[in-house]
Amino acid sequence: MPFQRSSRNTRNTPGRPGQRGDRSQRGAAGQVRKKRTCRFCDNKEDFIDYKAEKKLQRFVSEQGRIIPKRITGTCAKHQRMLVVAIKRARHLALLPFVSDAVK
Amino acid sequence: MPEVRRVYETTFIVNASLDDHQIDGVIEKVKEVITKSTGEIRELVKWGRKRFAYTIKKKNNGFYVVIEFMAPGDTIAKLERHYFLDENILRYITLVLDKRALKARTAAALLAAEQPAGEVKTDEAAKAAGPAPVPAPAASSPATTTP
Repeated sequence: MPFQRSSRNTRNTPGRPGQRGDRSQRGAAGQVRKKRTCRFCDNKEDFIDYKAEKKLQRFVSEQGRIIPKRITGTCAKHQRMLVVAIKRARHLALLPFVSDAVK
Repeated sequence: MPEVRRVYETTFIVNASLDDHQIDGVIEKVKEVITKSTGEIRELVKWGRKRFAYTIKKKNNGFYVVIEFMAPGDTIAKLERHYFLDENILRYITLVLDKRALKARTAAALLAAEQPAGEVKTDEAAKAAGPAPVPAPAASSPATTTP
């Protein structure tokens, strides 16, 4: 499953209780904010391999689109590398340009 | 002036409807192109047949091969020309492995070598894994000897 959208974007769709996990900080309007960090920075990775399609899949929506960094929390530097890796993987048919469900 | 040799990585997809020995023939030809222009193959990984995420030339699967090699720059033009002319090669990509990529590569290899060795037993397992040119990245476990 791709990343959960930030609460800002899903305010109108009620979240299922029990699925929201442990989120401590609440904004003024009662929105829940989760602190997101860049996974690649956390793991100190400075190269993103286009061949690791399973890893890349996490940063692609179900339709096959690249998920923006504002949602995944990836930092700018790693998002740039990630985008290149995803595009390389697409070229080699490891990832779809458009997933079958949308066609 | 001495020619600059760099480490490259090339991945290509061979038509999977060929027999295994025909596929080997295609791979052999690619290797020849590299070695003929004084390239040195450091690693060859056959992923084997794999399903595509989308159709390429009316095919739904292909045989993936990754080669890591060190060669002078003019090899790449020759190699890509060969890919272009060979009808059984559906897709290809060639990149330079820069310092960062190589570092990440060796780190991943070390990690991969460490874990099984740690579980099994002595240094000997690690040593046995050590001298391999550059061990495969963690993801490609169906390594070199695919039937």
